[in-house]
Amino acid sequence: MSTTIKHVDAAIPPAESFVPRHVGPDEKDVAEMLKTLGFASLDELIDATIPKKIRWRDHLDLPKGLTELEVLTYFRALAAKNQVFRSFIGMGYSDTVTPPVVQRNILENPGWYTAYTPYQAEIAQGRLEALLNFQTMVSDLTALPIANASLLDEGTAAAEAMTMSYALKGKPGKEVFLVASECHPQTIDVVKTRAGVRGIEVKVTSYADFKIGPEVFGVLVQYPATDGAVIDYTKTVDSAHAADALVTVAADILSLVLLTPPGEWGADIVVGNTQRFGVPLGYGGPHAAYFATRDDFKRHLPGRIIGLSRDADGKPALRMALQTREQHIRREKDEQRLHGAGAAGGGGEHVRRLSRAAGTHAHRASRARVRGSAERRPAPAWLHHRPRRFLRHHPGRCRQAEQPENHRRGAGAEDQPPLHG
Amino acid sequence: MDDRTIVIALDETVTDADIENLLAAFNDGKDPDFGFEDLVTGTDTRYDERFNRTTPFLTHPVFNKHHAETEMLRYMNKLQSRDLSLVHSMIPLGSCTMKLNATAEMMPITWPGFAKIHPFAPLDQTDGYRQLFDELESALAEITGFAAVSLQPNAGSQGEFAGLLVIDAYHASRNESHRNVCLIPQSAHGTNPASAVMAGMRVVVVKTDERGNIDVDDLRAKAEEHALHLAALMVTYPSTHGVFEESITEICSVVHKYGGQVYMDGANMNAMVGLCRPADIGADVCHLNLHKTFCIPHGGGGPGMGPIGVAKHLVPFLPGHPVVRLDGRNEVGAVSAAPWGSASILPISFAYIKLMGGDGLEYATKIAILNANYIAKRLEPHFPVLYKGAHGTVAHECIVDTRVVKQSSGIDVEDIAKRLMDYGFHAPTVSFPVAGTLMIEPTESEPREELDRFCEAMISIRAEIKEVESGEADKQDNVLKNAPHPMNRVVSTTWTHPYTRERAAFPAPWNQDFKFWPSVARVESAYGDRNLICSCPPTDAYAEVEAQTS
Repeated sequence: MSTTIKHVDAAIPPAESFVPRHVGPDEKDVAEMLKTLGFASLDELIDATIPKKIRWRDHLDLPKGLTELEVLTYFRALAAKNQVFRSFIGMGYSDTVTPPVVQRNILENPGWYTAYTPYQAEIAQGRLEALLNFQTMVSDLTALPIANASLLDEGTAAAEAMTMSYALKGKPGKEVFLVASECHPQTIDVVKTRAGVRGIEVKVTSYADFKIGPEVFGVLVQYPATDGAVIDYTKTVDSAHAADALVTVAADILSLVLLTPPGEWGADIVVGNTQRFGVPLGYGGPHAAYFATRDDFKRHLPGRIIGLSRDADGKPALRMALQTREQHIRREKDEQRLHGAGAAGGGGEHVRRLSRAAGTHAHRASRARVRGSAERRPAPAWLHHRPRRFLRHHPGRCRQAEQPENHRRGAGAEDQPPLHG
Repeated sequence: MDDRTIVIALDETVTDADIENLLAAFNDGKDPDFGFEDLVTGTDTRYDERFNRTTPFLTHPVFNKHHAETEMLRYMNKLQSRDLSLVHSMIPLGSCTMKLNATAEMMPITWPGFAKIHPFAPLDQTDGYRQLFDELESALAEITGFAAVSLQPNAGSQGEFAGLLVIDAYHASRNESHRNVCLIPQSAHGTNPASAVMAGMRVVVVKTDERGNIDVDDLRAKAEEHALHLAALMVTYPSTHGVFEESITEICSVVHKYGGQVYMDGANMNAMVGLCRPADIGADVCHLNLHKTFCIPHGGGGPGMGPIGVAKHLVPFLPGHPVVRLDGRNEVGAVSAAPWGSASILPISFAYIKLMGGDGLEYATKIAILNANYIAKRLEPHFPVLYKGAHGTVAHECIVDTRVVKQSSGIDVEDIAKRLMDYGFHAPTVSFPVAGTLMIEPTESEPREELDRFCEAMISIRAEIKEVESGEADKQDNVLKNAPHPMNRVVSTTWTHPYTRERAAFPAPWNQDFKFWPSVARVESAYGDRNLICSCPPTDAYAEVEAQTS
């Protein structure tokens, strides 16, 4: 063996180690590849590549690598330290049954999870179809014609709705976004974070106390509200539209199989989490948020959109649509495709059954609460319009109030030329 | 809700027994004097007619014909079989790090101990997650050299936004909230300017020189010009051109000198782990794409994770959360809905770190650099390699220039990308960061045989281009312009092209052993954008597309 090989030997951990499974080339390959490149050792290659003054001469202070068996044992112990209980918390997250056929054949299947974003459409028609199914499902349930192929979470989707409303309606003197205190608290917080640095003023009150004047460019309400109340927002919609403001509704997508969808009572944008359609709670994610809007706004839709086109032979073919829009420079927006296929297996009637089951339990439980505390007025959560201030108070943390507006306003994304495609 | 009211949420997994247990829990552990059945009969489950949905939904056949598991299984498998993934071949996308997503790393994510936990579950019921976060945060801090890590941002773009908010909050804490200029090099990832704008900053572009490096003189000039308002520089390292820039420490100190903070885009971290560290180089904040360097799969476009590491002076400004208190981190509001982002995929990254150990991670980085240099060396006689470092090497990826052949043959980078599909490969990154080029990142996980196969495909494509250059092949009707060749075209009764079907679909010897078929011919994007259809079209819409084109 040459000295080169010896050096490589020294760097490679023993055979039961995971490292040679993760790393493609074996010792012999490495030696030959180095020879092709004209370097005597890996370190010589690295020294030629990384500038001396930034080369870290120390080594990572991390434990030695474990075998696969040891790592799985370690994670079993960790998992056992999380206590799995029936959760009644809600607030935008619901336990759900991941259909086993989907869990094994999509979620746990490298044929699905190791694919890349479908930029090369000709070799991505499968997941493009799954994503189109997802968009169709969202569009059907919200009763709005245009839906994207998902955003990161409900909070982010609500923030995107605010940004889109601002791009469409905002102008000097029209920079207030009203957020109902009946929304999930994390949604309110994410919206505030996003608004603060953009010079948008967020006002959080009960929807019943909304004052929708000409300074308001958009409003956000939750349906059903975070406490379960089903609220009739038609008056809010009318006043918003009278003030040339857009209405965003954060909706529980499962509820829309029984409740009148927001698209039918005037919502301009509907957003929400699709987690309860079979995606594990996962202590917060990953889930996929949905985003749907009216046809007039389709060129302002955030995130990726899958659309039908044709191939060179004139046959129908799918691909990501409208790639020249702003979404293209924000191509990191992540998405999920599990749901499209999951819903494809369910069908409308199945979903309706699930929703009824959840709803029925909710009635029963709320009834129980009424009995349990006789002083409460009998107002089952799911049943009635029950305008009530959301009592958890979240003081505004938007800093824009302290700062001159013109400092905070950057060029809008639409004013900023993309640096590259 | 308040001191007298609780709200409970029920879902499809809740059973009658769960409700009875819940009732007992509010009755000192004893069953109450009414039963679950009393509740069912005593409850009016109707709701106001105003809210009653009357319109149909999910009526498209796709939602109604896969009810039997056999049908569902076959439908999912049909879709899967149309997609090229890492189970077929390398996906050499520059800047995307399509490395192995090992099975052992993936296994824990569906275990109930990780999967069936509500994001707002009491902290004392989630000790396992707590330990995972602590250990993962400190491992990532060791790898980046930073003082602390926030696991909240659930995408790279989210990490950028969070990092800039942290910088913004830091300036504000020093009564310098007027600092709002963000310097961004020409070669930056497109998400950088988008995030800066989202964070309310004003973007000022810094030039790059002909070697792809940041023009330090221009940087100095712009930093000085905006000294009063300079908030940050966003810089990718190694550069988006795949080079370890020699001037990086100088770049960082110029920005610091004028009061700015350095935001490092960690997209290329796979070239650095164990060999150099963002914090040591001079960065103040850096996001890590756990779906690149740390093995979370790309999942056909997501989900990912984009945690940020920060230097000590920025720790108090990390994102907080309105429901779950994150100690000492409440200056910046939540950037994601959940306190630790997409928590259930963090075991993947941590399993990778535990499996590799410190030495293994360092070794992987070295091999990632070796693999990229090997490809650059093999392809260089056929396609010029655009950028190299001071000593003639590249980092973990390389850019090959195809603009030369465009002039000589009319074959453009798109044709080459599509032709690679006929050979069974996914194209590298097309036209980023330089139009008309391919950026190739093999990662450490690809064996030498696969690297050779990819290089042979590229070399063979170069020979096909030569035939067009020499006039031996037609300028339009050739294997490249017509690529990819789907099966229905190759087996059709009519074949009018001047080359054989075998050359079209089986251009390399390995295609005889295994052939991945593109399921459609080259897709026309403009047509679909003019006639936007974004939901499942009725079957006759498909017929219409064909009618209009025939």
